[in-house]
Amino acid sequence: MSHSLHRYGPVESLRGDYCIYARAAKGVNRGEGVGDKLRKILAIYTSSGVVNFGSSHGGKSFSNGLEAEEYAKTLDDSYGIIATFDDRESVKKVLTKAGEANTGISIVVSGLIDEVVKVAHECGLKPHTATLSLGIFGHTEKLPEDDVLEMVTMCGHSLVSTGLIKDVIAKVKAGKLSPEDAALIASKPCTCGIFNTSRCAKKFREILERESERAD
Amino acid sequence: MRIREDKCVGCGACIPYCPVSSIVRDGGKAAVDEDECVDCGVCLRADICPAEAIFMPDECFEYPRAIRMQFSDPGVQHPNFKSWGRGTEEAKTNDVTGKFGRGEYGLLLEFGRPGTGTRLSEIEKVTTVIRNMGLDILKDNPLYGLLEEDLSGRFKPEYLNEKILSGILEFRFGEDELEEALGKLIPLLKDLDTVVSVGLVTRFADDASIPVIGKLAKMGLAVRPNAKINVGLGRPLVDR
Repeated sequence: MSHSLHRYGPVESLRGDYCIYARAAKGVNRGEGVGDKLRKILAIYTSSGVVNFGSSHGGKSFSNGLEAEEYAKTLDDSYGIIATFDDRESVKKVLTKAGEANTGISIVVSGLIDEVVKVAHECGLKPHTATLSLGIFGHTEKLPEDDVLEMVTMCGHSLVSTGLIKDVIAKVKAGKLSPEDAALIASKPCTCGIFNTSRCAKKFREILERESERAD
Repeated sequence: MRIREDKCVGCGACIPYCPVSSIVRDGGKAAVDEDECVDCGVCLRADICPAEAIFMPDECFEYPRAIRMQFSDPGVQHPNFKSWGRGTEEAKTNDVTGKFGRGEYGLLLEFGRPGTGTRLSEIEKVTTVIRNMGLDILKDNPLYGLLEEDLSGRFKPEYLNEKILSGILEFRFGEDELEEALGKLIPLLKDLDTVVSVGLVTRFADDASIPVIGKLAKMGLAVRPNAKINVGLGRPLVDR
Protein backbone atom coordinates (compact mmCIF):
# COMPACT_ATOMS: atom_id res chain seq x y z
CA MET A 1 0.00 0.00 0.00
CA SER A 2 1.21 3.54 -0.54
CA HIS A 3 -0.19 4.46 2.89
CA SER A 4 1.86 7.34 4.32
CA LEU A 5 3.27 8.30 0.92
CA HIS A 6 0.76 10.90 -0.15
CA ARG A 7 0.68 13.15 2.92
CA TYR A 8 -0.17 16.57 1.63
CA GLY A 9 0.97 19.96 2.87
CA PRO A 10 3.71 22.59 2.71
CA VAL A 11 7.30 21.71 3.59
CA GLU A 12 7.14 23.52 6.96
CA SER A 13 4.18 21.41 8.03
CA LEU A 14 5.79 18.18 6.77
CA ARG A 15 8.91 19.01 8.80
CA GLY A 16 6.96 17.76 11.83
CA ASP A 17 5.64 14.58 10.25
CA TYR A 18 7.44 11.24 9.97
CA CYS A 19 6.20 7.65 9.90
CA ILE A 20 8.51 4.71 10.46
CA TYR A 21 7.65 1.19 9.28
CA ALA A 22 9.29 -2.06 10.28
CA ARG A 23 8.32 -4.83 7.90
CA ALA A 24 9.37 -8.45 7.53
CA ALA A 25 9.28 -9.74 3.95
CA LYS A 26 7.21 -12.69 2.82
CA GLY A 27 9.51 -15.58 1.90
CA VAL A 28 12.63 -13.87 3.28
CA ASN A 29 12.63 -12.96 6.95
CA ARG A 30 9.01 -13.41 8.00
CA GLY A 31 8.24 -16.30 10.32
CA GLU A 32 9.44 -17.64 13.63
CA GLY A 33 10.98 -15.00 15.87
CA VAL A 34 9.45 -12.05 14.05
CA GLY A 35 7.17 -11.28 16.99
CA ASP A 36 10.17 -10.80 19.31
CA LYS A 37 11.90 -8.59 16.76
CA LEU A 38 8.80 -6.44 16.33
CA ARG A 39 8.46 -6.10 20.10
CA LYS A 40 12.06 -4.91 20.21
CA ILE A 41 11.28 -2.29 17.56
CA LEU A 42 8.07 -1.26 19.32
CA ALA A 43 10.15 -0.64 22.46
CA ILE A 44 12.51 1.49 20.36
CA TYR A 45 9.56 3.53 19.08
CA THR A 46 8.07 4.08 22.52
CA SER A 47 11.42 5.15 23.98
CA SER A 48 12.08 7.64 21.19
CA GLY A 49 9.28 10.19 21.42
CA VAL A 50 6.54 8.36 19.55
CA VAL A 51 3.38 10.37 18.77
CA ASN A 52 1.17 7.54 17.62
CA PHE A 53 1.04 3.88 16.60
CA GLY A 54 -1.81 1.46 16.18
CA SER A 55 -3.34 -1.77 15.08
CA SER A 56 -5.78 -2.05 12.18
CA HIS A 57 -6.58 -5.58 13.29
CA GLY A 58 -7.24 -4.45 16.84
CA GLY A 59 -9.18 -1.42 15.58
CA LYS A 60 -7.43 1.02 17.91
CA SER A 61 -4.48 3.42 17.98
CA PHE A 62 -2.24 4.76 20.76
CA SER A 63 -3.95 8.16 20.46
CA ASN A 64 -7.24 6.44 21.27
CA GLY A 65 -6.18 4.20 24.11
CA LEU A 66 -4.05 1.34 22.74
CA GLU A 67 -1.31 0.58 25.28
CA ALA A 68 2.11 -0.55 24.08
CA GLU A 69 2.07 -3.58 26.41
CA GLU A 70 -1.33 -4.66 25.11
CA TYR A 71 -0.21 -4.19 21.49
CA ALA A 72 3.08 -6.03 22.06
CA LYS A 73 1.18 -9.19 23.02
CA THR A 74 -0.46 -9.34 19.57
CA LEU A 75 2.73 -9.15 17.52
CA ASP A 76 3.43 -12.89 17.19
CA ASP A 77 0.91 -13.03 14.35
CA SER A 78 2.11 -9.83 12.74
CA TYR A 79 4.73 -8.98 10.13
CA GLY A 80 5.06 -5.24 10.55
CA ILE A 81 4.51 -2.25 12.80
CA ILE A 82 4.26 1.46 12.12
CA ALA A 83 4.64 4.53 14.28
CA THR A 84 4.43 8.29 13.85
CA PHE A 85 6.85 10.97 15.05
CA ASP A 86 6.87 14.75 14.92
CA ASP A 87 10.56 15.66 14.70
CA ARG A 88 13.78 14.54 13.01
CA GLU A 89 15.62 13.95 16.30
CA SER A 90 13.16 11.19 17.18
CA VAL A 91 13.72 9.63 13.75
CA LYS A 92 17.46 9.74 14.36
CA LYS A 93 17.03 8.04 17.72
CA VAL A 94 14.91 5.28 16.17
CA LEU A 95 17.33 4.63 13.29
CA THR A 96 20.34 4.60 15.61
CA LYS A 97 18.70 2.12 17.97
CA ALA A 98 17.29 0.02 15.12
CA GLY A 99 20.77 -0.23 13.60
CA GLU A 100 22.18 -1.39 16.95
CA ALA A 101 19.34 -3.88 17.43
CA ASN A 102 20.25 -5.48 14.08
CA THR A 103 16.93 -7.30 13.65
CA GLY A 104 17.33 -7.67 9.87
CA ILE A 105 13.80 -6.37 9.37
CA SER A 106 13.38 -3.67 6.72
CA ILE A 107 12.88 -0.14 8.01
CA VAL A 108 11.16 2.55 5.95
CA VAL A 109 10.86 6.21 6.90
CA SER A 110 8.31 8.46 5.30
CA GLY A 111 8.98 12.16 5.48
CA LEU A 112 10.78 14.98 3.70
CA ILE A 113 13.27 13.39 1.31
CA ASP A 114 16.16 15.74 2.12
CA GLU A 115 15.71 15.35 5.86
CA VAL A 116 15.35 11.57 5.82
CA VAL A 117 18.43 11.11 3.63
CA LYS A 118 20.45 13.39 5.92
CA VAL A 119 19.30 11.59 9.05
CA ALA A 120 20.08 8.20 7.46
CA HIS A 121 23.61 9.38 6.68
CA GLU A 122 24.05 10.71 10.21
CA CYS A 123 23.18 7.20 11.41
CA GLY A 124 25.66 5.59 9.01
CA LEU A 125 22.95 4.19 6.73
CA LYS A 126 22.80 4.09 2.95
CA PRO A 127 19.26 4.75 1.64
CA HIS A 128 18.26 1.88 -0.64
CA THR A 129 14.93 2.59 -2.35
CA ALA A 130 12.52 5.51 -2.54
CA THR A 131 8.81 5.54 -3.26
CA LEU A 132 8.11 9.01 -4.61
CA SER A 133 4.77 10.77 -4.69
CA LEU A 134 3.86 12.40 -8.00
CA GLY A 135 0.70 13.83 -6.45
CA ILE A 136 -3.02 13.44 -7.04
CA PHE A 137 -4.54 13.20 -10.53
CA GLY A 138 -7.98 12.57 -11.96
CA HIS A 139 -11.16 14.29 -10.87
CA THR A 140 -9.39 16.58 -8.39
CA GLU A 141 -12.43 18.88 -8.14
CA LYS A 142 -13.68 16.26 -5.67
CA LEU A 143 -10.86 17.07 -3.24
CA PRO A 144 -11.43 19.31 -0.22
CA GLU A 145 -9.60 22.60 0.41
CA ASP A 146 -5.89 22.48 1.33
CA ASP A 147 -6.30 22.74 5.12
CA VAL A 148 -8.63 19.75 5.15
CA LEU A 149 -6.60 17.78 2.60
CA GLU A 150 -3.52 18.08 4.84
CA MET A 151 -5.40 16.34 7.60
CA VAL A 152 -7.34 13.68 5.69
CA THR A 153 -4.17 12.50 3.93
CA MET A 154 -2.64 11.68 7.30
CA CYS A 155 -4.77 8.53 7.27
CA GLY A 156 -3.23 6.25 4.68
CA HIS A 157 -6.38 4.19 4.28
CA SER A 158 -8.56 7.27 3.66
CA LEU A 159 -10.71 6.55 6.70
CA VAL A 160 -10.58 10.07 8.13
CA SER A 161 -13.32 11.90 6.28
CA THR A 162 -13.55 15.45 5.00
CA GLY A 163 -16.82 15.74 6.91
CA LEU A 164 -15.21 14.81 10.24
CA ILE A 165 -12.35 17.27 9.78
CA LYS A 166 -14.76 20.08 8.86
CA ASP A 167 -16.93 19.18 11.84
CA VAL A 168 -14.07 19.38 14.34
CA ILE A 169 -12.68 22.56 12.76
CA ALA A 170 -16.08 24.19 13.27
CA LYS A 171 -16.08 23.05 16.92
CA VAL A 172 -12.54 24.36 17.47
CA LYS A 173 -13.51 27.72 15.97
CA ALA A 174 -16.61 27.82 18.17
CA GLY A 175 -14.49 27.13 21.27
CA LYS A 176 -16.26 23.82 21.90
CA LEU A 177 -13.08 21.75 21.44
CA SER A 178 -9.41 22.46 22.14
CA PRO A 179 -7.04 21.85 19.20
CA GLU A 180 -5.57 18.88 21.08
CA ASP A 181 -8.93 17.24 21.82
CA ALA A 182 -10.06 17.89 18.25
CA ALA A 183 -6.93 16.14 16.96
CA LEU A 184 -7.74 13.05 19.06
CA ILE A 185 -11.28 12.91 17.64
CA ALA A 186 -9.97 13.40 14.10
CA SER A 187 -7.47 10.56 14.60
CA LYS A 188 -10.04 8.02 15.80
CA PRO A 189 -10.93 6.39 12.44
CA CYS A 190 -7.21 5.88 11.64
CA THR A 191 -6.68 2.64 13.50
CA CYS A 192 -3.17 1.89 12.25
CA GLY A 193 -1.88 4.96 14.04
CA ILE A 194 -0.19 6.97 11.31
CA PHE A 195 -2.43 9.97 11.96
CA ASN A 196 -0.10 12.58 13.43
CA THR A 197 -2.11 14.14 16.26
CA SER A 198 0.70 16.56 17.06
CA ARG A 199 0.77 17.97 13.51
CA CYS A 200 -3.03 18.02 13.42
CA ALA A 201 -3.34 20.01 16.67
CA LYS A 202 -0.74 22.45 15.35
CA LYS A 203 -2.80 22.87 12.19
CA PHE A 204 -5.92 23.61 14.22
CA ARG A 205 -3.98 26.25 16.18
CA GLU A 206 -2.86 27.82 12.89
CA ILE A 207 -6.45 27.92 11.68
CA LEU A 208 -7.51 29.63 14.92
CA GLU A 209 -4.69 32.17 14.58
CA ARG A 210 -5.75 32.94 11.00
CA GLU A 211 -9.32 33.43 12.19
CA SER A 212 -8.14 35.73 14.95
CA GLU A 213 -6.00 37.79 12.53
CA ARG A 214 -8.97 38.12 10.18
CA ALA A 215 -11.17 39.31 13.04
CA ASP A 216 -8.53 41.92 13.97
CA MET B 1 -23.54 -0.67 6.33
CA ARG B 2 -27.07 0.00 7.36
CA ILE B 3 -28.89 2.08 9.98
CA ARG B 4 -31.96 0.61 11.65
CA GLU B 5 -34.71 3.11 10.94
CA ASP B 6 -36.72 2.08 13.98
CA LYS B 7 -33.76 2.69 16.29
CA CYS B 8 -32.24 5.84 14.74
CA VAL B 9 -32.93 8.95 16.80
CA GLY B 10 -31.96 11.30 13.96
CA CYS B 11 -29.13 13.01 15.86
CA GLY B 12 -26.87 12.93 12.78
CA ALA B 13 -23.73 12.20 14.84
CA CYS B 14 -22.66 9.49 12.38
CA ILE B 15 -22.95 11.66 9.25
CA PRO B 16 -19.55 13.42 9.36
CA TYR B 17 -17.65 10.17 9.90
CA CYS B 18 -18.43 8.60 6.52
CA PRO B 19 -15.34 8.84 4.24
CA VAL B 20 -17.52 8.78 1.10
CA SER B 21 -20.47 10.86 2.37
CA SER B 22 -22.90 7.98 1.95
CA ILE B 23 -24.88 8.69 5.14
CA VAL B 24 -27.70 11.11 4.43
CA ARG B 25 -30.68 12.56 6.27
CA ASP B 26 -33.93 10.94 5.20
CA GLY B 27 -37.17 12.07 6.83
CA GLY B 28 -35.53 13.17 10.07
CA LYS B 29 -33.43 10.00 10.35
CA ALA B 30 -29.98 9.06 9.13
CA ALA B 31 -29.83 6.50 6.33
CA VAL B 32 -27.02 4.84 4.38
CA ASP B 33 -27.02 5.07 0.59
CA GLU B 34 -25.99 1.43 0.26
CA ASP B 35 -24.96 1.73 -3.39
CA GLU B 36 -22.45 4.45 -2.47
CA CYS B 37 -21.34 2.88 0.84
CA VAL B 38 -17.97 1.08 0.72
CA ASP B 39 -18.51 -0.96 3.93
CA CYS B 40 -15.37 0.45 5.59
CA GLY B 41 -17.03 0.24 9.01
CA VAL B 42 -15.83 3.67 10.18
CA CYS B 43 -19.32 4.76 11.31
CA LEU B 44 -19.70 1.59 13.38
CA ARG B 45 -16.22 1.68 14.94
CA ALA B 46 -16.64 5.37 15.79
CA ASP B 47 -19.08 4.19 18.45
CA ILE B 48 -20.98 7.47 18.33
CA CYS B 49 -24.52 6.20 17.73
CA PRO B 50 -26.46 6.70 20.99
CA ALA B 51 -29.07 4.15 19.85
CA GLU B 52 -26.68 1.48 18.50
CA ALA B 53 -28.60 1.64 15.24
CA ILE B 54 -25.61 1.11 12.90
CA PHE B 55 -24.77 -2.41 11.78
CA MET B 56 -23.18 -4.43 8.99
CA PRO B 57 -25.95 -6.53 7.36
CA ASP B 58 -25.28 -10.11 6.23
CA GLU B 59 -25.46 -9.10 2.54
CA CYS B 60 -22.21 -7.16 2.94
CA PHE B 61 -20.36 -10.46 3.52
CA GLU B 62 -21.70 -12.05 0.32
CA TYR B 63 -19.93 -11.83 -3.04
CA PRO B 64 -19.52 -9.73 -5.05
CA ARG B 65 -20.30 -7.09 -2.40
CA ALA B 66 -17.82 -8.64 0.05
CA ILE B 67 -14.90 -7.08 -1.83
CA ARG B 68 -16.05 -3.66 -0.62
CA MET B 69 -15.02 -4.29 2.97
CA GLN B 70 -11.87 -6.15 1.89
CA PHE B 71 -10.62 -3.05 0.05
CA SER B 72 -12.04 -0.48 2.45
CA ASP B 73 -11.55 -1.75 6.01
CA PRO B 74 -7.84 -2.38 6.72
CA GLY B 75 -8.86 -4.75 9.51
CA VAL B 76 -10.44 -7.19 7.03
CA GLN B 77 -8.21 -9.72 5.32
CA HIS B 78 -8.27 -10.43 1.58
CA PRO B 79 -9.19 -14.14 1.83
CA ASN B 80 -7.36 -15.35 -1.28
CA PHE B 81 -4.37 -13.12 -0.86
CA LYS B 82 -3.94 -13.71 2.90
CA SER B 83 -3.09 -10.10 3.56
CA TRP B 84 -4.69 -6.90 4.72
CA GLY B 85 -4.81 -3.48 3.13
CA ARG B 86 -4.97 -2.19 -0.39
CA GLY B 87 -1.76 -3.13 -2.15
CA THR B 88 1.51 -4.93 -1.73
CA GLU B 89 4.79 -4.73 0.09
CA GLU B 90 5.95 -2.50 -2.82
CA ALA B 91 9.32 -1.02 -1.82
CA LYS B 92 8.97 -1.49 1.93
CA THR B 93 11.07 -4.65 1.84
CA ASN B 94 12.98 -4.00 -1.38
CA ASP B 95 16.30 -4.11 0.48
CA VAL B 96 15.77 -7.85 1.06
CA THR B 97 13.55 -8.85 -1.89
CA GLY B 98 15.25 -6.96 -4.70
CA LYS B 99 11.85 -6.61 -6.33
CA PHE B 100 12.93 -3.35 -7.99
CA GLY B 101 16.52 -3.27 -9.25
CA ARG B 102 18.57 -0.38 -10.61
CA GLY B 103 17.17 0.73 -13.95
CA GLU B 104 13.69 -0.47 -13.02
CA TYR B 105 10.73 1.47 -11.76
CA GLY B 106 7.50 0.53 -10.04
CA LEU B 107 4.39 2.58 -10.69
CA LEU B 108 1.67 2.66 -8.02
CA LEU B 109 -1.72 4.02 -9.01
CA GLU B 110 -4.03 4.28 -6.03
CA PHE B 111 -7.57 4.85 -7.24
CA GLY B 112 -10.14 6.51 -5.00
CA ARG B 113 -7.76 8.03 -2.52
CA PRO B 114 -8.03 10.48 -0.90
CA GLY B 115 -11.62 10.52 0.16
CA THR B 116 -13.59 9.75 -2.99
CA GLY B 117 -13.74 5.98 -3.40
CA THR B 118 -13.98 4.35 -6.80
CA ARG B 119 -15.98 1.81 -8.79
CA LEU B 120 -13.90 -0.97 -10.34
CA SER B 121 -15.24 0.18 -13.71
CA GLU B 122 -13.08 3.32 -13.36
CA ILE B 123 -9.97 1.26 -12.62
CA GLU B 124 -10.72 -0.96 -15.63
CA LYS B 125 -10.36 2.05 -17.94
CA VAL B 126 -6.69 1.99 -16.98
CA THR B 127 -6.03 -1.76 -16.62
CA THR B 128 -7.12 -2.43 -20.21
CA VAL B 129 -4.71 0.23 -21.49
CA ILE B 130 -1.90 -1.16 -19.34
CA ARG B 131 -2.42 -4.60 -20.85
CA ASN B 132 -2.56 -3.16 -24.39
CA MET B 133 0.80 -1.54 -23.69
CA GLY B 134 2.16 -4.99 -22.81
CA LEU B 135 2.93 -4.05 -19.20
CA ASP B 136 2.44 -6.69 -16.54
CA ILE B 137 0.30 -5.87 -13.53
CA LEU B 138 2.09 -7.33 -10.52
CA LYS B 139 0.36 -10.43 -9.19
CA ASP B 140 1.04 -9.95 -5.47
CA ASN B 141 -1.77 -7.42 -5.33
CA PRO B 142 -5.37 -8.00 -4.26
CA LEU B 143 -6.84 -6.28 -7.34
CA TYR B 144 -5.08 -8.82 -9.57
CA GLY B 145 -7.32 -11.64 -8.40
CA LEU B 146 -10.44 -9.79 -9.57
CA LEU B 147 -9.23 -9.55 -13.18
CA GLU B 148 -10.39 -11.87 -15.95
CA GLU B 149 -7.91 -14.65 -16.62
CA ASP B 150 -7.61 -13.75 -20.34
CA LEU B 151 -5.07 -11.00 -19.53
CA SER B 152 -7.29 -8.43 -21.24
CA GLY B 153 -7.14 -6.17 -18.20
CA ARG B 154 -10.91 -6.43 -17.73
CA PHE B 155 -12.38 -7.19 -14.34
CA LYS B 156 -14.80 -10.07 -13.88
CA PRO B 157 -18.16 -8.48 -14.70
CA GLU B 158 -19.74 -9.13 -11.31
CA TYR B 159 -17.20 -6.81 -9.66
CA LEU B 160 -17.36 -3.89 -12.10
CA ASN B 161 -19.99 -1.85 -10.26
CA GLU B 162 -18.62 -2.54 -6.79
CA LYS B 163 -17.39 0.56 -5.01
CA ILE B 164 -14.29 0.47 -2.81
CA LEU B 165 -12.56 3.13 -0.74
CA SER B 166 -9.36 2.65 -2.72
CA GLY B 167 -7.38 0.07 -4.66
CA ILE B 168 -3.81 0.08 -5.89
CA LEU B 169 -2.49 -1.10 -9.24
CA GLU B 170 1.18 -1.82 -9.25
CA PHE B 171 3.44 -2.62 -12.16
CA ARG B 172 7.10 -2.59 -13.03
CA PHE B 173 8.91 -1.39 -16.13
CA GLY B 174 12.40 -0.58 -17.34
CA GLU B 175 14.20 2.76 -17.54
CA ASP B 176 13.63 2.98 -21.32
CA GLU B 177 9.86 2.57 -20.85
CA LEU B 178 9.40 5.39 -18.32
CA GLU B 179 8.46 8.12 -20.76
CA GLU B 180 6.03 6.00 -22.75
CA ALA B 181 4.35 4.50 -19.66
CA LEU B 182 3.77 7.80 -17.89
CA GLY B 183 3.08 9.65 -21.15
CA LYS B 184 0.21 7.28 -21.93
CA LEU B 185 -1.17 6.64 -18.46
CA ILE B 186 -1.15 10.03 -16.75
CA PRO B 187 -3.40 11.73 -19.38
CA LEU B 188 -5.94 8.90 -18.98
CA LEU B 189 -6.48 9.74 -15.32
CA LYS B 190 -8.08 13.14 -15.90
CA ASP B 191 -11.16 11.55 -17.47
CA LEU B 192 -11.88 9.23 -14.54
CA ASP B 193 -14.74 9.80 -12.13
CA THR B 194 -12.39 9.48 -9.18
CA VAL B 195 -9.00 10.68 -8.00
CA VAL B 196 -5.73 8.76 -8.31
CA SER B 197 -2.68 9.16 -6.06
CA VAL B 198 0.42 8.28 -8.07
CA GLY B 199 3.66 6.85 -6.67
CA LEU B 200 6.90 5.78 -8.31
CA VAL B 201 9.41 3.31 -6.85
CA THR B 202 13.06 3.85 -7.70
CA ARG B 203 16.48 2.90 -6.39
CA PHE B 204 18.82 5.50 -4.93
CA ALA B 205 22.08 6.11 -6.81
CA ASP B 206 25.31 5.40 -4.93
CA ASP B 207 25.65 9.11 -4.08
CA ALA B 208 22.15 9.03 -2.49
CA SER B 209 20.66 11.08 -5.31
CA ILE B 210 17.43 10.07 -7.07
CA PRO B 211 18.14 10.47 -10.80
CA VAL B 212 14.57 9.85 -11.93
CA ILE B 213 13.44 13.15 -10.38
CA GLY B 214 15.25 15.05 -13.15
CA LYS B 215 13.74 12.81 -15.83
CA LEU B 216 10.25 13.36 -14.43
CA ALA B 217 10.80 17.13 -14.38
CA LYS B 218 11.62 17.03 -18.10
CA MET B 219 8.27 15.30 -18.62
CA GLY B 220 6.50 18.04 -16.68
CA LEU B 221 5.90 15.85 -13.63
CA ALA B 222 6.76 17.32 -10.24
CA VAL B 223 7.76 15.11 -7.34
CA ARG B 224 6.40 15.93 -3.88
CA PRO B 225 9.05 16.83 -1.27
CA ASN B 226 8.08 13.88 0.93
CA ALA B 227 8.59 10.20 0.13
CA LYS B 228 8.89 6.77 1.68
CA ILE B 229 12.50 5.75 2.02
CA ASN B 230 13.79 2.26 2.68
CA VAL B 231 16.95 2.99 4.65
CA GLY B 232 18.67 -0.31 3.91
CA LEU B 233 18.58 -2.00 7.32
CA GLY B 234 17.00 -5.25 6.08
CA ARG B 235 19.14 -8.39 6.02
CA PRO B 236 20.32 -10.22 4.00
CA LEU B 237 20.74 -7.11 1.85
CA VAL B 238 19.96 -7.40 -1.86
CA ASP B 239 21.61 -4.80 -4.06
CA ARG B 240 20.89 -5.62 -7.67
